[in-house]
Amino acid sequence: MIELRAQERKILSATQQLGGKASVEQLIEECNLPDAAIMRNALTLQEKNLVTIHAQHQRLIKLTAEGEQYAQNGLPERRLIQAVAKSGGAAELPKAAAQAGLPSQFVQIALGWVIRKKWATYNSQTNTITLANKQIPEGSDEKLLKSLGKKQAAQEELPPDLQLAVDMLKKRKLLTVEPKTKRILQITPEGKKALKKAVTVQEAPVATVTQLTPELIITGKWREAKLQKYNIEAPVAKTWPGKKHPYLSFLDEVRAKLVQLGFKEMTGTSVELSFFNFDALYTPQDHPAREASDIYYIKDPQYGDISRHQTAVENVKQTHENGWVTGSTGWGYKYSFEVAKRLILRGHGTCLSARTLESGNLEIPSRHFSIARVYRPEITDKTHLSEFNQVEGIIVDQNLTLKDLLGVLGKFAMEIAGADKVRFKPDYFPFTEPSVELSAYKEGYGWVEFGGSGIFRPEVTLPLGVKAPVIAWGLGVDRLFMMRAGIDDIRMIFSQDLDWLRKKQVT
Amino acid sequence: MPTIDVDYAELERLLHVQLNGDMAKLDDILAFVKAEVKAFNEKEGALSLEMKDTNRPDLWSVEGLSRALRGYLNQERGIKQYSIGESIVDVHVNADLYGVRPFICCTIIKDVHLSDAIIRGLMHLQDKLDKTYGRNRQKTSIGIYNFDLIKPPIEYTAVQPKKASFIPLGFTETMDLDEILKRHPKGVEYGHIVKRHPRYPMLYDSEGKVLSFPPIINSNDLGKVTEESRNLLVEVTGTMHQTVLNTLNLVTLALIDRGGKAYAATVHYTENAGYTQQTVVTPNFNNRLFKLSVEYTNRLLGLNLTAQQISDLLLTAGLGVERVSGDSVSVLVPCYRVDVMHQVDLIEDVAIAYGYNNIEPLWRELPTSGRAKPDQRQIDVARELMVGLGYQETLTYTLTNPQNLYDKMGGERAKIVEVTNPQIVTMTSLRSWLLPSLMEFLSNNQSVEFPQRVFELGKVTMFDETKETKTRDEEWLSAATTHATAGFSEAKSALDAFLSNFGVEWQIKETAHPSFIEGRVGSVIVDGVEVGVVGEVNPLVLEAWKLENPVAAFEIKFQMLLNRK
Repeated sequence: MIELRAQERKILSATQQLGGKASVEQLIEECNLPDAAIMRNALTLQEKNLVTIHAQHQRLIKLTAEGEQYAQNGLPERRLIQAVAKSGGAAELPKAAAQAGLPSQFVQIALGWVIRKKWATYNSQTNTITLANKQIPEGSDEKLLKSLGKKQAAQEELPPDLQLAVDMLKKRKLLTVEPKTKRILQITPEGKKALKKAVTVQEAPVATVTQLTPELIITGKWREAKLQKYNIEAPVAKTWPGKKHPYLSFLDEVRAKLVQLGFKEMTGTSVELSFFNFDALYTPQDHPAREASDIYYIKDPQYGDISRHQTAVENVKQTHENGWVTGSTGWGYKYSFEVAKRLILRGHGTCLSARTLESGNLEIPSRHFSIARVYRPEITDKTHLSEFNQVEGIIVDQNLTLKDLLGVLGKFAMEIAGADKVRFKPDYFPFTEPSVELSAYKEGYGWVEFGGSGIFRPEVTLPLGVKAPVIAWGLGVDRLFMMRAGIDDIRMIFSQDLDWLRKKQVT
Repeated sequence: MPTIDVDYAELERLLHVQLNGDMAKLDDILAFVKAEVKAFNEKEGALSLEMKDTNRPDLWSVEGLSRALRGYLNQERGIKQYSIGESIVDVHVNADLYGVRPFICCTIIKDVHLSDAIIRGLMHLQDKLDKTYGRNRQKTSIGIYNFDLIKPPIEYTAVQPKKASFIPLGFTETMDLDEILKRHPKGVEYGHIVKRHPRYPMLYDSEGKVLSFPPIINSNDLGKVTEESRNLLVEVTGTMHQTVLNTLNLVTLALIDRGGKAYAATVHYTENAGYTQQTVVTPNFNNRLFKLSVEYTNRLLGLNLTAQQISDLLLTAGLGVERVSGDSVSVLVPCYRVDVMHQVDLIEDVAIAYGYNNIEPLWRELPTSGRAKPDQRQIDVARELMVGLGYQETLTYTLTNPQNLYDKMGGERAKIVEVTNPQIVTMTSLRSWLLPSLMEFLSNNQSVEFPQRVFELGKVTMFDETKETKTRDEEWLSAATTHATAGFSEAKSALDAFLSNFGVEWQIKETAHPSFIEGRVGSVIVDGVEVGVVGEVNPLVLEAWKLENPVAAFEIKFQMLLNRK
């Protein structure tokens, strides 16, 4: 026994009455049901094999605002010849236009169409229009305009002559054409039988709703509606949120930790005086680290100004030459101010520490750090960058010892790298003695070199006016980041791969 | 950092240890002298070691390395004693050399037995010393000769380049000095050291035979050392006497370690030429004396060592002790420890011998308050706003090139901060604005899903005559959006959202900018001052970067907003 719900019966019988074939639009009008209800029922009817649904691709036409105005008042050329006709079949153009009430910018357009449609002839010397015939029949374009009015229509459903007029009006921008899919229900033989035999079941008063609309909410009609179930397992479009860069976020975290541990951030410029990058750090002026293969030199201007640091420069000069009052032998060469002034791209962040020591307002005790972009003329590869960031700093206090130095490194390893164990090895930096290398052990990663540190040589601190011991430290943050991010190519830090950045998890 | 190649079997033999190829164990030993294994070719027994200390040339030979380690391995303590025989050669230095390459030190090694491996090791040491300690032969350079072919005394003189000629090592024809600088590979490499002088240094024996043209090349006749050579003459020339002497000492010690017997040479300098000494006998193995304070040692290390303990640790480190008193130790520093300049150098050796891992780390609470740099909070807020607007943050290099900054952006080139020694053509200058970095980023992501929205808040560098570095860095912000319908209003809307949330009132003013489409670009005005630009990127620029979708972007001088606050 076939069952039909009330709405299904209504639609099925309306289809039958409309000749066994009806569009969704027709059924909306006939059954007085909303679009969604017609479609939903049509689908169940099709499932029961009582109707078939055909999709018909149509071109929907609609007048533009200008078109609607002409539908009401007539085309400008029609109004022009009507005025000429009133004047007895011939008239001067300005007079006829005035009579027709045409705005001046439309006069030439109207005249053009009159001539093109061969409704009249125009004598340019006398500026007069003469009608070709007494009666000028209505053209198909005019018929189409009138029949459309404010309505829409499918181009395919128009009479053939009006179909041709569509292009004409479209070119004049009087109407628009949009593609549309029209759905047509066709009753099947089973459908016809069902209308006679089927039992009408009492329909629940609910309509199934796909989209919960503001209207449904405001009117409270959602209570009567059944919200359709979705296939929640269906794939959805990807969303790519804006995110901070993973490496910069990591540096933010390092910065926060250091601030929390009582360190103040130092800043400086990418272009630096050789004096602070090298000389002040007891690097002799002929040291290999200062060769063009190890440090970038600025082309123009070549020299900066060291006059603001006269005392320090003089002390450093003497320290390099003969040890000055530091108790050192010095390097024993002739120091050059010219070399000290040479501008470079800073090769390490330690120049910022040197500047802080030299600043004249160093507090004791104090702790400082910097996150500095530094530059080395390296060929970039898996393990080298020619531009990278260094995290380093200093601790100044009257009674610092090697024990403090080890303690600082240990603290960093625990706090920043989350290390389980640490190990110390002798290391070398030209500006510290003793110098220590820190290896940190973390479960799952093994031993990793994580930082270097040392106590600044007296040849560094005394010339800069600091008598207290100063611990200098640097952290291998790039390696730590790479471990965490699971990358083994250092170039990924400056990755140009948007896809990687989008998919990188926020940690 | 110098890297040295050593023969694995030689190292084991000289160290008196059996490692059985265990590199971790070797690394633990090498840690005492700040070295580590860089590579090990087990098949050829070739070890490559990285020496972190650039100031310890005594470690750059297998002999020196084992000399330094034997104390830590409890084999011998204190200074290893070396002796020199009497002076058997005179060297006369011509006064004209004073402004050119004034100093020479010389020795004669007798009865040495050279194997192929030893010769290679010797050449390797010579090369390392020339390059690093000798600053690419500028400061010092070494020459080694077959002494049996030489008739002393030696003459070290300066000659005009056209007035001397000989067959350089590795060649078969006679060349004058100018030709050598032009045609011999070493002449091409090191010629710049002598070129600015009218006369070049030359070494002759008493019969006028050429030993070498320092610091360029030896003669092919006398300057060739083979396994048959038993007696050698070693000389070092250079610009600083102490460095020249140190270098000669290091080579001499390595040869004595190989069973050779060293004899001295007497160098005679001309009076009144500017030299402080007239006669110098070389080599010179005298120890230097340093007084090490017990109090200073303990203050620096945080330990409580007695003078005797310090003395013991110094001996382990291969240093000598002359006298131990209550508050100080008189330390003898052997001639090969050229790195020792200050007590701190000795104190570090004490700490290494004591063992860094035997020292208790200490984290001291200090009354210091931490603080990020003043601009950091505003920078973070700005980045968060851009992220909130759906833009992905990027991180790009500040080193770029004028093609990217100007040519590809449709602009005229302006003067920017350039380096004299770029390594690659794409990294020659510091950036003067950010948008080119974003355009490059987008051009690398043409196959990635659209829409793409990216930003960078980063540094740009500009000239500033008032600064001591003649430049200053500023934080700027640039953002770009690209997809099929990206346009001016999207960028303007994002900019407006950014600025108004940042608490900045702004106006837009029509402008012309070569990187943007005419009529679709505006200046960003804050308090009557231009702080940036917003617009739709010119299709010419899109073509230059090979972009297929429209790009709308803005760039603001964020630093100006920071400075307002």
